[in-house]
Amino acid sequence: MQGIYGGGMSLLAFFARNSRELLGLVGQHVYLVAISTGAAIAIGVPLGILLTRRPAWRGPVLGLANVFQTVPSLALFGFLIPLPFIGGIGARTAIVALVLYALLPIVRNTYEGIAGVDPAVREAGRGMGMTDGQLLRLVELPLGLGVMLAGVRVATVVSVGTATIAAAIGAGGLGVYIFRGVATVDDTLILAGALPAALMALAADALLGLAERKLAWRSP
Amino acid sequence: MIPALEVEGLGYALPGKGGRGRGRSLVQDVSFTVGAGETLVLLGRSGSGKTTTLKLVNRLLEPTAGEVRVAGERAADLAATRLRRRIGYVIQEVGLFPHFTVERNVGLVPQLDGWPPQRIAARVRELLALVGLDPATFATRYPHELSGGQRQRVGVARALAADPPLLLLDEPFGALDPITRVELQREFQTLEGRLRKGMVFVTHDVREGLLLGTRIGVMHEGRLAFLGTPDDFRRSDHPECRAFMAAA
Amino acid sequence: MRREIALSGWILLLALGCAYPDRIVVGSKNFTESDLLGEIVAQQIERRAALPVERRFHLGGTFVCHHAITAGQIDLYVEYTGTAYTAVLKFPPALDPDSVYRAVAAEYARRFSLSWGKPLGFDNTFAILVRRADAERYGLKRISDLAPVVPRWHAGFGYEFLERADGFAGLARIYGLRFAAPPTAMDLGLTYRALGQRKVDVIAGNSTDGQIAALDLVALQDDRHYFPPYQAAVVSRAPMLSRYPTVAKALVELEGKMPDAEMRRLNALADVEHRDIAIIARDWLRANVP
Repeated sequence: MQGIYGGGMSLLAFFARNSRELLGLVGQHVYLVAISTGAAIAIGVPLGILLTRRPAWRGPVLGLANVFQTVPSLALFGFLIPLPFIGGIGARTAIVALVLYALLPIVRNTYEGIAGVDPAVREAGRGMGMTDGQLLRLVELPLGLGVMLAGVRVATVVSVGTATIAAAIGAGGLGVYIFRGVATVDDTLILAGALPAALMALAADALLGLAERKLAWRSP
Repeated sequence: MIPALEVEGLGYALPGKGGRGRGRSLVQDVSFTVGAGETLVLLGRSGSGKTTTLKLVNRLLEPTAGEVRVAGERAADLAATRLRRRIGYVIQEVGLFPHFTVERNVGLVPQLDGWPPQRIAARVRELLALVGLDPATFATRYPHELSGGQRQRVGVARALAADPPLLLLDEPFGALDPITRVELQREFQTLEGRLRKGMVFVTHDVREGLLLGTRIGVMHEGRLAFLGTPDDFRRSDHPECRAFMAAA
Repeated sequence: MRREIALSGWILLLALGCAYPDRIVVGSKNFTESDLLGEIVAQQIERRAALPVERRFHLGGTFVCHHAITAGQIDLYVEYTGTAYTAVLKFPPALDPDSVYRAVAAEYARRFSLSWGKPLGFDNTFAILVRRADAERYGLKRISDLAPVVPRWHAGFGYEFLERADGFAGLARIYGLRFAAPPTAMDLGLTYRALGQRKVDVIAGNSTDGQIAALDLVALQDDRHYFPPYQAAVVSRAPMLSRYPTVAKALVELEGKMPDAEMRRLNALADVEHRDIAIIARDWLRANVP
């Protein structure tokens, strides 16, 4: 008990002494996650919608997104570094990697949210003379929103964790504390990075879960 | 009087390896006319092509042969979505939008066509009353709060909303329990008389067909094997008609 | 009675397991030179002492290796006197190589039961590096010359340099360096690439690195003598050395055999020409410790 108390106090003392630096790193971390998730949504949602219109593309596209997911995160960062334009050290490369990671849950859930709409509803809609756009806007997206938001939630929570690795390639964020702590075998430093990151992931999960409940239509 | 629907030599072949890149024919050389106030019942076994024929009329499937004219206009000349706005479509599963109220479901096509809100509201009230649902009670309900019979009534109201000249119904009462089915059949019969629209009504239930149809068409293996009045049907020698009468 | 026998049996097995390893574990830090030296030491033990060697290379930084050796997870690794002096023992900076060595050897023996071999023959100090074009443009020869330039510059360092007492904080203070922003932290290996690609303008490399020549970088002279001497030597667990005198003898043969230029040559072979470390080590041993 003494050890935990002592450790906890030294962590709080660390936060108090380094509040500016901590806030800076938290800000960088939020930046990395927000930009990459936003980009993944901007790319992934239209792509998911496209997959419902072109079933033949489903296998290759989902397969490719799956490949990105299976590459270990540090390895993906490493692969991207030598590439021109999107590579190099720093936040931009990290964001590219994070976008690739977030794609699979978002594309797949968009596809499944829309494909999961009752076929009778879709047939009735088409039969009534709704255009493809009207069907998407009035029926498929509202009904699929719940599943889509679940995908965004998964992508965001995973991003918060993966973004800690970005510090290895100079992108900043809470991983900086973790890497510093590992280099110097300093538990307080490691926790100083890991704890806020974990809290951030929990907060994102809770907030997006709330949005899911409020915005998504559920079959009663 | 321009007929509500004219169908000439209608055919549908699956894309495939047959001659000229065509595969199996699901519908072949079907011709009929439906006037205003008439109901053509399409009777047939499963797989006889009756639902396919229906979908060829509103171009949910594109015909590979023949011509369709709705209220005098060639269906092929219109954009498919515009064509469908002029045809009421009722399906067995109903397909109400679960996230819309009854009111919003019924008023959907008028809304897409840009009617002013008050006109839509009035029309919705009128139609709900027409199908036997009290507007005050049902307008703000959601589909999951309705029984099967009530849902199909809403389905019919929705199909009538923009006052189309033609109605297509694909086994609309097939999913209902026997008592509700009989109830809706009777009410529908009354509605037919009042509305003066052309209707094509697909069913495999002979008694329903004889009750509701001004004429009966029997589909068999993609062709129209018989076309005539209910009395003609009862007296017919055609094997399909005999089979249906025996099963009635 | 049966339970007592079973329990003693397990304890015996456990004790045997812990006492068993008849192999030497050699560690190294997370950069090329350390891996190279670790491989040389490992092969030397294998050929002279005929004992199996387990290699645990690229472990992490100084502190990870120190933890590992004091915990008995590795038996030896190559350390630098200055690093031990300021980073591990946290003594204030000193300049004389011999007194630094003596202090470190005495303290390590007393505190950690670790034995320092004699220096291998080269000094690997931190090299504050800039691009040659910048060095010529701003007339940079010494670290003091940086002070007027860095307010417009960015620095990039590995995590260890940022944390160490003889690292960035002291350097900035002694030389009055105020950068445009706090230094970017990244994996040590990436700092050279970052400097080359103009993502950063100053890095802290090692004076014996092969990449300094390859990337046409300039190392600035430590004119205020901020960095202590960093002589490389083998640090071993004393109990292990007394148990295996053949290992002690094998290690003595390496002392003084590696001058600066030679270390730089080997580093370049590994880092720039991407030759296999095991082969470099073997060839070097054959030529220099026959």
